Amino acid sequence: MPLLARLSGITRSFGRVRALDGADLQVPAGMITGVLGENGAGKTTLLSVLGGLVTPDAGSVEVGGSRVTFRRPRDAWQVGVGMVHQHFALVPDLTVLENLALGRRTSFWGLGLGYDALREDVADLAERTGLEVSLDGPVRDLGVGERQRVEILKVLLREPRILILDEPTAVLTPVEVDRLFSLLRGLADEGTGVVLVAHKLDEVLDVADRMTVLRNGRTVLSALREEVDAEGLIRAMVGREKADPAAVGHGADHALRAPVVDTSPPVAQLEGVRVVRSGGQEALRGISMDVRRREILGVVGVEGNGQRELARVLAGRLKPSAGVVRLPTGVGFIPQDRTREGLVSGFSLTENMALALHQDRTYRRGPTLRWGALKETTEELVRRFDVRARGVRTRAGTLSGGNQQRLVVARELQAAKNLLVAENPTRGLDVAAASFVHEELSFRRRIPDGPGIVLISHDLDEVLSLSDRVMVMIRGTLVDVPHTQRSRQFVGALMLSGVHA
Amino acid sequence: MPEGRRFGSVVVALGALLVTAAIASLGLWAGGYDVGEAAGALVAGSVAGREALLSVTLVRAVPLVLTGLAVALAFRAGVWNIGAEGQLYAGALAAVWIGLHGGDRSAWFLIPSVLIAAGLAGAAWALVPALMKLWLGVGEVITTILMNFVGIYTVAYAVHGPLQEARGVFPQTDPIVAGARLPALVPGTRLHAGFGLAVVVALGLWAFFRWTRAGFAVRAVGASPSAARISGRIHDRRVVLWAFLGSGAVAGLAGGVEVAGVTYALYEGLSPGWGYTAIAVALLAGLHPGAVLVAGVLFGALEGGAGAMQRAAGIPAAWVGAVEALVILAVLAADQAWRRSAALLGPAPEREPEGGAGA
Amino acid sequence: MPEATVFTAFLEAAVRLGVPLALAALGETITERSGVINIGLEGSLIAGALGAALGALAFDSPVLGVLAGAGAGLAVSAVFAAFVVGLNTDQIITGTAVTLGGLGLTGALYQARFGVTGTALTLPTLRPVSVPLLSDIPVVGPAFFNQAPTAYLAYLLAPVLWALLFRTEWGLELRAVGEGPSAAQAAGVRVRWLRLLATLFGGTLAGVAGAHLALAHAGTFAENMSAGRGFIAIAVVVLGRWNPVWVLFAALFFGAASALQFFLQALGMDVPYQLFLALPYLLTLAALAGWVGRARAPASLALPWPRSGPEM
Repeated sequence: MPLLARLSGITRSFGRVRALDGADLQVPAGMITGVLGENGAGKTTLLSVLGGLVTPDAGSVEVGGSRVTFRRPRDAWQVGVGMVHQHFALVPDLTVLENLALGRRTSFWGLGLGYDALREDVADLAERTGLEVSLDGPVRDLGVGERQRVEILKVLLREPRILILDEPTAVLTPVEVDRLFSLLRGLADEGTGVVLVAHKLDEVLDVADRMTVLRNGRTVLSALREEVDAEGLIRAMVGREKADPAAVGHGADHALRAPVVDTSPPVAQLEGVRVVRSGGQEALRGISMDVRRREILGVVGVEGNGQRELARVLAGRLKPSAGVVRLPTGVGFIPQDRTREGLVSGFSLTENMALALHQDRTYRRGPTLRWGALKETTEELVRRFDVRARGVRTRAGTLSGGNQQRLVVARELQAAKNLLVAENPTRGLDVAAASFVHEELSFRRRIPDGPGIVLISHDLDEVLSLSDRVMVMIRGTLVDVPHTQRSRQFVGALMLSGVHA
Repeated sequence: MPEGRRFGSVVVALGALLVTAAIASLGLWAGGYDVGEAAGALVAGSVAGREALLSVTLVRAVPLVLTGLAVALAFRAGVWNIGAEGQLYAGALAAVWIGLHGGDRSAWFLIPSVLIAAGLAGAAWALVPALMKLWLGVGEVITTILMNFVGIYTVAYAVHGPLQEARGVFPQTDPIVAGARLPALVPGTRLHAGFGLAVVVALGLWAFFRWTRAGFAVRAVGASPSAARISGRIHDRRVVLWAFLGSGAVAGLAGGVEVAGVTYALYEGLSPGWGYTAIAVALLAGLHPGAVLVAGVLFGALEGGAGAMQRAAGIPAAWVGAVEALVILAVLAADQAWRRSAALLGPAPEREPEGGAGA
Repeated sequence: MPEATVFTAFLEAAVRLGVPLALAALGETITERSGVINIGLEGSLIAGALGAALGALAFDSPVLGVLAGAGAGLAVSAVFAAFVVGLNTDQIITGTAVTLGGLGLTGALYQARFGVTGTALTLPTLRPVSVPLLSDIPVVGPAFFNQAPTAYLAYLLAPVLWALLFRTEWGLELRAVGEGPSAAQAAGVRVRWLRLLATLFGGTLAGVAGAHLALAHAGTFAENMSAGRGFIAIAVVVLGRWNPVWVLFAALFFGAASALQFFLQALGMDVPYQLFLALPYLLTLAALAGWVGRARAPASLALPWPRSGPEM
């Protein structure tokens, strides 16, 4: 197979952080190359170099045998490199057609719009690849899977010889993942060089023909699929033997855990809870559930089925439109979006601790805050949870993503005397940080007076391997998964039973 | 005050002042003025000698410190209150009304009444844009600016119409009764008790931000409303409302103090744009209440000295407006420069994914 | 007959007062569509007025005066753009500073050039040009089609800018930059370049608006003569829902509000003059209150981009 692109000795620093330190990557035609590595290993940066989004400090990029310098994405497509982004590069308020037209520049001097030709091109492409999307609604109305199809369509319209996908499966359901992979297989069979970063090892093992593993900004392994096994890849990724099965999604056998027999009264109860979104659409349609001490109740579902609202109602952050909510005092909440909702990036670690604890009696005196006590608690938690920071006066925004999440988890566990609600607590974390979160959640289950834990996640493997009870969220309702039916297939199918389109 | 920024703020402020002084001098030189003479007049008119310092600079500083504090309070809460000017006029109007109808009641009753009325009127003026922001989702930048014009013309109407002096000659009110006037702070100078009040408000606001839970809530909402709401369980809309009203009250107080301490009457153009200068004061101070005191005195000296510059060197007084703009721009530029250098020295800031939720 | 004349005079004043709002608001519409809110518009407007006055005097030509005004508005918005687009500073604060600076600098320049005494300046004015046929329509004709050339520029720009925004690739790219700059960049659009162009365009039109104020409306220059029109123009953009055609109508509506005092005075009604001056601002507030819920601003309006580091 001819080599379409070769990146050698790529180095790139951001500030004092060296993201890439002499990384290599080869992209052969007609093959799917899987790029693996922990978060922070430099995968996204390396692909961004090939996609023209990031200019390397040193190293060479060759496409089609000749050396190229990309200053902007446009330079990359002009030599046939297309990139599908992790965060979709679509404008939500424009229609699908407008998004596809953006940057095409077909008409004379940009005066006019070549929509007719575009519609034809899309129809041709749909016929060839099976990528069907409706063109006339705004992107904001589309589901995640559909948005990704639009994104891929947009890139394919430029007829790339190299197609880069950065974590395309993170937000997809198992069925959508299968559909995506068969599309990629088809493109590779036509001769395209596909480069894929995937969230989970087993997915990459399923689909890729070649593997490239990055660690600390360097390429540590490059081999054909049949030359490597999962253990070898994990070793290469983390540089050590131990790995958390739930975090890498490999070998998780979801051992049937004995159901908790807890006869104590529930710590939290919802009865017939309804939430109506501002648009009039019902996000929760009559949810009833009990949460007991010392159990992890897993709620899994395709994104956008009301999990966000459920988490906020359970955490006492959202008043339902109807229904009864009984919550204890001392509720901790780990929100999914830690940079926007979990932390104030301009605040110090102590101030961020105060954010969740300022209503706690221990930390206030009349109308004032006890900064001394807050500082002591912060120092202790930072030590116990191994938050890497120069001190408690450091601003939270300067911490790495994993350390930010440690800080939030530490704080909310401190606050969660009786109930903890965790919403996608490991999203975007590297293997080590994710397994830390999993261990902390499991640990709470074993302490005698531990809180009840609700784990809301769209990661099926995470929920299955950690939870005592599993519920599936479908269009604003909850369905109990019987203990004997806790298989990946059964729950996965249940998740999709509510998916429209 | 995010702890890590204090040092940065001082460096930024000093750098900005240096840049401003350099550009302003260059501008004067290019305009054919004698820069040395101008600088001499500026110093002589503002800080050289007891009279200039106490009767000019510090007197001018009072409304600038108070409106600067109003802006700092609002900006800290993430409220873009550009309406201190209108709130000041509302406060002045209320103060003069009480002061005119005070009769021979004692100062112990009248002075607090004047100040409270001024604060309430300023808050009431801020209530309109605050409710429009919270109930109707109309951004406060434009509405507060529009309310400034409404305030200015309302005062114009009052001093031409119902509140015009008994003689009916000039568009101004009669002087307020003696009992409603603020006492002198330093006998023999024009410095009045309002300066003491400004210092007290500055220290109070500093303590509020530093020690109280409410002050912490204001800072949290200003820094990130979503994190304050979700992680802090802070009622962010309520905080925004109170910070907005508090800001209006402090700006209104500035108007009341000016009437009760300096002019004893209300007329058109009472404020030469203090409500806008306040933005420069607050930014130069890094929104820190203590530093607002210093920055306010600095701008008081500039405004006081401008008069002397016009008399001595023929430099138009409107030039001060341009210098204030320069200070704001220099602070913004210096702040960016400081952040970039800090980013080079510290760990890389994480890029946030695009939210696009709108402001 | 006299009533029709009074009404025509009212409409004429409404258009004459609405045109500077329309020009400034049309420019600001383009600026805001790119995600930049230019509170410094007032600074461009007053600079345009002074520039036009100085230009018209220097060349003894009102047309060259308009060009000088456009140049002055452009220059002021270039300062704003250098900070906001170049340094990525806060748009609200930068715009406020630019307005303060514009008002202060024009005042200082005016005093330096013409002295503080302020004997009114007489300028070569931009005379009305009447459009054949159209100006003969009864009542409305003379009001709309016997106006200074700047008015026709506003009539023309509204549909042209509408077509630019919604019927060209340029417009698509501009809207994409305002709605989702990162996505636009990924699609190969030059975000900062477009924002720069859109901001300069807005400043230039605000300069023309100022020129209209000095040369077609007042026939003189006075300090602070912009009187907050830059801010009203920004409100007009909101009322016109960021659509150039609606923006033109909204601007004319506010011109009518300002012209109301002449109309009512002509009808012999005795309402205090100062309250009439406050009327356009009150009406703008009322209109914003009643209208805004249904309009949606470009998603990235006033947000710094690229977004990095801590918020201020």
